[in-house]
Order: sequence, then C-alpha cells, then structure tokens
Amino acid sequence: MYALVDCNNFYVSCERLFNPKLEGKPVIVLSNNDGCAVSRSEEAKALGIQMATPAFLIKDVIEKNEVAVFSSNYTLYGDISERVMKTLETFVPRLEFYSIDEAFLDMHDLDYQDLLELGLRIKNTIMQNIGIPVSVGIAPTKTLAKMANRYAKKYHRQTGVFWAANDDMLREMLAATNVGDIWGIGRQYALFLSRHGFKTALDLISAPEQWVKKNMTVVVHRLFNELKGIPAIAWEFKPPAKKNICTSKSFGKLQTKKEDIKEALCNYAANCALKLRQQNSCCRSINVFLQTNLHRTQDKQYSRSITIDLESPSNFTGEIIKYAIKGLDIIFKDGYNYLKCGVIAMDIVPDEKVQASMFDPCDRKKNKTIMEAMDKVNKTLGKEIVRLSVQGFEKRYRLKTEYLSAHYTTDINQILKVKI
Amino acid sequence: MKNTQTILYYDSKVPAGFPSPALDYMEKRIDLNEELIKHPLATFICQSEGVSMINAFIPPKAKLIVDRSLNPKNGDIVLATLNGEFTVKFFKKNQYKCWLCPANSKFPDIEITEEMNMQVWGVVTYIITDVKEVRSCMR
Repeated sequence: MYALVDCNNFYVSCERLFNPKLEGKPVIVLSNNDGCAVSRSEEAKALGIQMATPAFLIKDVIEKNEVAVFSSNYTLYGDISERVMKTLETFVPRLEFYSIDEAFLDMHDLDYQDLLELGLRIKNTIMQNIGIPVSVGIAPTKTLAKMANRYAKKYHRQTGVFWAANDDMLREMLAATNVGDIWGIGRQYALFLSRHGFKTALDLISAPEQWVKKNMTVVVHRLFNELKGIPAIAWEFKPPAKKNICTSKSFGKLQTKKEDIKEALCNYAANCALKLRQQNSCCRSINVFLQTNLHRTQDKQYSRSITIDLESPSNFTGEIIKYAIKGLDIIFKDGYNYLKCGVIAMDIVPDEKVQASMFDPCDRKKNKTIMEAMDKVNKTLGKEIVRLSVQGFEKRYRLKTEYLSAHYTTDINQILKVKI
Repeated sequence: MKNTQTILYYDSKVPAGFPSPALDYMEKRIDLNEELIKHPLATFICQSEGVSMINAFIPPKAKLIVDRSLNPKNGDIVLATLNGEFTVKFFKKNQYKCWLCPANSKFPDIEITEEMNMQVWGVVTYIITDVKEVRSCMR
C-alpha cells in the first residue's frame, strides 16, 4: 500500500497559520511577480477564482469580496514544508518527497492493520504540530493513492482520509473518477479516451485487452497496470546533487538598459556561486541567457544564450560574476524590452577534486578564505549583508512582491509579534 | 634531474608539543536549542508586546518558545487565537468552562463563551528575555 499526503491549499494554509483573521475568508496567493493565483482557499474557489488566473483579471472580484491577497513567500512555505515532510518521515520507513506540498509514503511492512486509523493519526499530528491541514489517500499503487487522495478531498471532507481497502471501495473510487482526473493522463489523451467511450477510470480498466494492446503506448500501459492495482511506477528517492544550478527570474517590469540587467545578472551569478559553495562544489562552465517577452507580439523579439568555460573550476562569487558579465557583454543588444535573464552553473564537480592550474592567475587559497568569511557574516547578520558592489543596492529589476507576509520562522526580526 | 622523487607537502601544522590533558575530557558545549526546544518540528518562536503577563515573567519583547505538539493543561501559559487575534495568557479550565487569564491585576480574566472563537495555538514552554526589559518593568 502507498499513501499520498497532500497539504490542502498549502500556501494559503501557511498564511493562515500566522494570521488567524483569515480563517473562513477568501484568500489567494499569487505566483512569482504577483502574476497569477496559484493557491486559493475554499472560499476563494467558491467565488469562481480559477487556478492560474492572472491577478489583473480578477481585480473586481478581489475588491468586491475583500479577498485577502498574498505574494508567494517561499521562505516561509519552504520551512513549513520541511517541517511537514520531516514529521511524515516519523511514521513510515520510506517517503518520497513529491513536491513542496505532497509526499508518497510507503505503507508496506507496517505494524498497523488499520491503515485508515494510521492515516487519521498522520493527519491529526500534522494539524496539531504544524497547523497545516492535509488529506491522505491510501491505495495499492501510487496512481491509485493519488486518486484516493482526490477522492478523500471530494467525498470524505470531514475526515480528509480515504483508504481503498478492498475491491468494492476501489471500484467505487474508480467509478467516481473521470479519465481526465487520473494522474498522468493529459488533456489530449483524456479527449482521445472519452472519444472512445471511456468516461471514468472504471471504464478504462474494463477496456478489452485487444483494444489496450492496440491503442496504448508503454507509458499508458504502465498506468493501466497501476490502475488495476499492480505497482508499476518505481519509488524515487531523493534527487542526487544537482548537475546544474540555475538562477533566473523574470524582471518586475521589462528592462531596456544594460546597466540594470547587469546588476540583476550579477546577483543571479552570486546566488549560483553561493549554492555551489553550499553543496561543496565548483562549476567548470556557466551559461548566461537573456530574452524578451515572447507573448508581447508588439515587441521586437530577441533571445540568446552563451556558454563560457572557466579557466579553472570555481565557486567564488567574484569570479562567477566576472564570467557572467563577460557573457552579457557578448549577448546583449540595445533596443529590446527584456523580460528575463539568468545564469546556469554547469559541469559541476566536487570542490575537493578541483586541480590547481599552473598558470592560474587567481590566488585560490586566499579567495576561499574570503568566501568562507563572507558566507559566515551573511549567515549570522543576514542574507547579502556583504556583497560585491556590482550587485547593486536598488534592485530595480526585482520581482513585485507587494503583498509579502513575514518570514515568521526563519528570521528572528520577523517573528510573530503578539499584543498581550 | 635524475633521482627526483615527489614528496607530499602538508600545509598544516603538525603539533609536536605536549598533548592537552583536557583532551580526554572534552564534551560538547551546551546547546540551548537542544535544551529549550524538545520538538523542533513543532516549535515556533513569537515575541510579546504589552504588559498583561508581566507577573508571569513575560515583559514586552520577550521571545516565547511555543510548542504546538503539547496538549494544553490547566494552568499552562498558551499562545491562543481569540476571535481572529493572537494572545498569550494562562489557560484555565474546569469541567464546565475555560478561561484565558492575564498575570496583571489591571486586566480582566476572559471567560470563553460559546459565541467566542478561541483556539489554543500552542503551549509556551520557555520565556527568553533581555534583562534590560525586566529592569525597566521593575522601575
């Protein structure tokens, strides 16, 4: 058996945890740059606010119904997510971190007979200890667990937990699930299936073997097994150390001046260097890219990237920035409205394996000491307290985060203040 | 250039003096995180503003360690939400009723009635305060 634990409206739930006034009120969280609604409370869904609706399209609905709006506070969500995942890990021997708000739990070889009871305990513990509501779906395969989770949300709202414990319950769940809502079936394929008369997941698993063989790809065949209760999707463990590290963001508003873009790019390069140091690695090359907004058809379009090899592998902020600027000098062209730029650190190697080059103009040992000192200061006194002057101070390019809540759990200066 | 041989060069000092007699007695330094936070995943920190809990040793600007995993018992200091607002008070209850009680005679006890929406958010387990705040309260 597998369980899928999913945090309900996760970003909204995180905001509510530190703002009890929002309980029972419509709340939405916007994506990066305050673009679209990416998390909605049940009350906001009831107002007809759809997933991924651009904020400007629902301005009237927001004003009329006093919808509380938040920018994404990934620092907060990341910490709460980690608390949830680590708490889940205490219940089962194996866990697969699926996304910031979802995890698969391995329910084999447990001492429990009644998995429904375990599901309820998991849900209640996460609610009490962290304050985040979750739903739990338990079933024989990952695909079915995902379906059971959806089913729990829809038909077992009170408990939020569903265990497809026997064939009758499985059939009931399959019959209540449209083919388009099966994990792994895209919109196009759902259309194809419904054209062939398959409406629900139950219809699909009752399809004649002949038809299945003729019409299905390997991937779908695998999914078909999953639906029949035969595990076919492998367990995925924690991802290995990153092969590439990318830092890139859309600008808050379109940029035209090279100086402003350079400042942004230097910050992204510095961020890459920091991430490299945090995982004790260096990169051998970097890729710098720059692009306009494809969706603005009224604008001239330009998009270019360039890969530059480093003289010797590095994770020094100053050096990575130097190469990033070199790249920008080559690819930047005047006269365009730029939307986005970024730096990708590539060809990553462990830093102890870095071989010194004989003609290296850079004093590696000295630089390493400087970086260590800088990281230490920034860790204790605050992010980017010490930085290179090219990184600038104004951050004109910065994302819009007008409605950002506090970093309640990661910054002592931003903790919850309580009037008592 | 015959008979050359590579010798490893160690760029660190090799101690040659008498070894410290304390070495065998070395123990890990006291870690306040470990002492004050028993359930790290369920623990949050908040800061007090105001004087209603002054006689419970909570001056303004005190950092409160709040453990959500504990069930509130009669007499615990709790972080609670009352009609959408956070507050910190003593939690008192008997068979029939419960109250949120301040520790300052200038403030009244709050009896929790049916129409109120009160929830205990977590139990306060430690109070960390700058001595300067305590001194200014005693003046």
